[in-house]
Amino acid sequence: MATKEGSFSVEDMKNVQINIGAVVKEADEWDQEMGPHPKPGVATLRSWDHMIANRYKIMYAPADDTCTLCTYGPCDLTGNKRGACGIDQAGACGKIVLIACLMGTCAHSAHGRHLYHWCMDKFGDMKFDMGDEILVDSPLYQTIMGTKPRSFKDFNEGLYYLEEGVVQLLAATHTGQEGAYIDFESKALHAGMLDLLGMEICDMLQIVAYNMPRGAADAPIIEIGMGTMDQSKGVLIAYGHNLAAGAEAMIYAEENGLWDKVDIGGVCCTAHDLNRIGLGKGEAKVPAGIGMKPKVAGAIGWWRKMVRSGVMDCVMVDEQCVWCDVLADSQKRKIPVIATTDKIMLGLVDRTNDPIDAIVDDLVNFKVPGVAILDPAKAGIVGIKTAIAVKPKRAEAHIQNLITEAQFQEQIKKCTTCNDCAFVCPPHIRISKLIADAVKGDMTTFSNTYEICVGCGRCEQVCPQGINILDLFEFANRQVVKNQKFKMRSGRGPARDTEIRAVGAPIVLGTIPGVIALVGCSNYPNGTKEAYDIAKEFVDRGYIVVTSGCMAMDMSLYTDADGKTIWEQYPGGFDGRNICNTGSCVSNANIGDAAIKVSTIFAHRNHRGNFDDIADYILNKVGACGVAWGAYSQKAAAIATGCNRLGIPVVVQPHSVMYRRSFMGRTDKPEDWMVIDARDGKMQQIEPAPEAMLYIAETKEEAMLEMAKLCFRPSDNSIGRGIKLTHYCDISMKYFGKLPDDWHIFVRDVKDLPLVYKEDMMKTLESKFGWKIDWKAKKILSGPLRPADVSFDPTNLARKIRTKK
Amino acid sequence: MAAEVKKGIDTTKNPIPFEMAQVPGPEQAKCYMPKVMGAIIKKAKRPLLVVGAELFDDPIMFDKMIEIGKMGIPIAATAHSVKGFVERGYLENVYQIGLHPLTSNLRFSDWMGMDGKGQYDAVIFMGIFYKFANAMFSTLKNFNRDIKRISIDRYYHINANMTFGNMAFTPDDYHAAVDEVIAAMKK
Repeated sequence: MATKEGSFSVEDMKNVQINIGAVVKEADEWDQEMGPHPKPGVATLRSWDHMIANRYKIMYAPADDTCTLCTYGPCDLTGNKRGACGIDQAGACGKIVLIACLMGTCAHSAHGRHLYHWCMDKFGDMKFDMGDEILVDSPLYQTIMGTKPRSFKDFNEGLYYLEEGVVQLLAATHTGQEGAYIDFESKALHAGMLDLLGMEICDMLQIVAYNMPRGAADAPIIEIGMGTMDQSKGVLIAYGHNLAAGAEAMIYAEENGLWDKVDIGGVCCTAHDLNRIGLGKGEAKVPAGIGMKPKVAGAIGWWRKMVRSGVMDCVMVDEQCVWCDVLADSQKRKIPVIATTDKIMLGLVDRTNDPIDAIVDDLVNFKVPGVAILDPAKAGIVGIKTAIAVKPKRAEAHIQNLITEAQFQEQIKKCTTCNDCAFVCPPHIRISKLIADAVKGDMTTFSNTYEICVGCGRCEQVCPQGINILDLFEFANRQVVKNQKFKMRSGRGPARDTEIRAVGAPIVLGTIPGVIALVGCSNYPNGTKEAYDIAKEFVDRGYIVVTSGCMAMDMSLYTDADGKTIWEQYPGGFDGRNICNTGSCVSNANIGDAAIKVSTIFAHRNHRGNFDDIADYILNKVGACGVAWGAYSQKAAAIATGCNRLGIPVVVQPHSVMYRRSFMGRTDKPEDWMVIDARDGKMQQIEPAPEAMLYIAETKEEAMLEMAKLCFRPSDNSIGRGIKLTHYCDISMKYFGKLPDDWHIFVRDVKDLPLVYKEDMMKTLESKFGWKIDWKAKKILSGPLRPADVSFDPTNLARKIRTKK
Repeated sequence: MAAEVKKGIDTTKNPIPFEMAQVPGPEQAKCYMPKVMGAIIKKAKRPLLVVGAELFDDPIMFDKMIEIGKMGIPIAATAHSVKGFVERGYLENVYQIGLHPLTSNLRFSDWMGMDGKGQYDAVIFMGIFYKFANAMFSTLKNFNRDIKRISIDRYYHINANMTFGNMAFTPDDYHAAVDEVIAAMKK
């Protein structure tokens, strides 16, 4: 029988068949003891999830009072009634949340699976090596799987684990299976954890396969914006998240010396990753010389503005975050479309097996609006050839990208001010007012709201007069996108071990006030500028600011008084007063990785197969907070949920109510804030820190205040708590005009008080809250719910109680 | 015109969710006239006025809300709207709290309110980003039906019990309607 993993003995056994699935080799290669939960199943970490759910009460805001998932429906669940199958409103919401998280998890994991097969075919197996400065090289993988991938091929085991997990979780959503909302949420948290793993696998695969930068704090400043595209050349746009076809296009252009004829730009996360390919160092897996030739055209929220700019000649779409009307929008402007993965085929004919020149001929002569080519290499070649050849044809066709002045005037005169458009506009732009101003010859309101418009086009769908409102916006702002040219720091990849060593203690003690991770996409409540404002506020205050994906792109579109973007104002390290761009959407895993590395590199926690232990450490000691200020996607739901399971709270924007579920603590319930002191096993009440796991803010001001608060941790020492309280109070004074009502809850000692408010706060503590103060000694005699104790070791896991030897 | 003044502003027209697709199910809010709204609010034993950051877009509403606050109804100033009250020197019964944590607390019958005196029996929403307010009404509609959900905002709020129709494009009428609510509360 098995005595411990990796060894067994057989004595006196007959007629026994032994199947050996895999030989565990790590024992002699990795001296860390295996934790209790390698490859956790659906229910393995349920007690951890229930701990989260008991402290952070699951809160639903149903978007629908009915359930229509089975043939008994629709069932009216209003008021938490039960439907025909017995599920109540909370359960039905939990089911939708789980399904949404699974959508996100599948999107990232399937991306990883595609890259795995593609890269194995293209490059063959290779050593998994993140370089000398990143020895803890796959923290999530190691924490969840309990093994260390040594080669590219080893990640296959992780992908199989993910795929089985997703199948099991999705099965639970069938009518008649899971019904308890708390267990739907435990499963959603599991899906979120799988999503983190899927993202990490995906990013590690592409970093190794394409030799992308590994922890490059000095990643170069690059240009971003549609204005960076050289319009004298054929412009090929790679749009989506999967680099495979875009990379092949770049390789073909490089190997055939075509860069003088074609320019390649990326939209959404493919942009980050094409750029990262050109910046790799060391062993070259792609032709040298690509360098900074691929451009970053911009984020997904600008897509419909970009397509109307007249700059692009050919579009290759890959996967995720591609608007479903990409073909219609492109066809209208004679921009050939190439669908390059089986996830998005747009109804196009599959031409994978046709000769390249025949496909190009059809596209260039506008015989077909687009094609599907599922071989990335062929798609890349077709993309380049088409972009080059179609450029003059498009010029000859005199394509009207924009409406004319006369058409603009004709359109605006049709407006009857019915305001149907305002009833569907996400940021509530009063479009009829814009039009009324334009009728009077004033275009400034059209200009002022251009960046607030999220480009969804819902207004056009409901306009009874058939006014093409996006076209009006584009005409009124016709030079903006075409000339958009800013600076962004390229994706750097993971934090280096040395960076973690330097910031580990300051983060845990609180002297670096927190790690702020800005992730997500384009559905900003009040325009892209808020991405910049939030980042600027925190990097200025000395927080470590980490960002990725479209958020990194959107915050690049604004400059300070000296004309510098945020990337030019601050360095790109994983350190206080730095801002780093980890890369694309899947590079978000590097943020969770950094939190794990604080616990394993700085605090020497064993992370191997030990997810809840690491999450417990992060929840109690690592002052990190995510913000998804423009998130629209199910991927964002999965990412946030994965962060929550890892102990990282997240703030989201008000449109995120559509995610339906949040996790909110009750600060009025002392019993909810009891933790174990690992030193002796005694229970100790802590201040509500962090007070929520998923918080919806109405405005950026509220978001910033909450983010500062969500960086408090029980482990803060007095200097750290004083710094965090200072920022919390300063932000409140700056945007709210007063101190927050709950600042006193976080005070344990006089030394915790911010210097600038110290005297006034001590008076308030005495007069308003009845605390006893020794004014002569400047000491608090009574009042705080617990004393400051630098060696306090809070945990939510009984197994962490230290036993005396 | 005279007849209209006598009857008051008709706030029952245009009962369409301000985001048209927000039609949640069979139970939908009814539109009421301002005088009825005022009388219902007056009748509440533990009402709470909940205001948001859209007050900054129409600053006169701060003054109207303060007028309600002075009648003894506590104000939950969500988002960063408390700044408007600070600037007007009125913080007597104004509490700074996010709409999200506030609604979370409103779910629980044992929550003692911001003044520690007990759960509220009516919430009156005003000046909050539509989609957010709609969702928080949905939470209460589904998970704590003991609290009456009243909107005196310029939007038709389908998840409330009582609301105005859409008045987003008739600001003068809207202001007059809120004045009528206040007047009815004073009777």
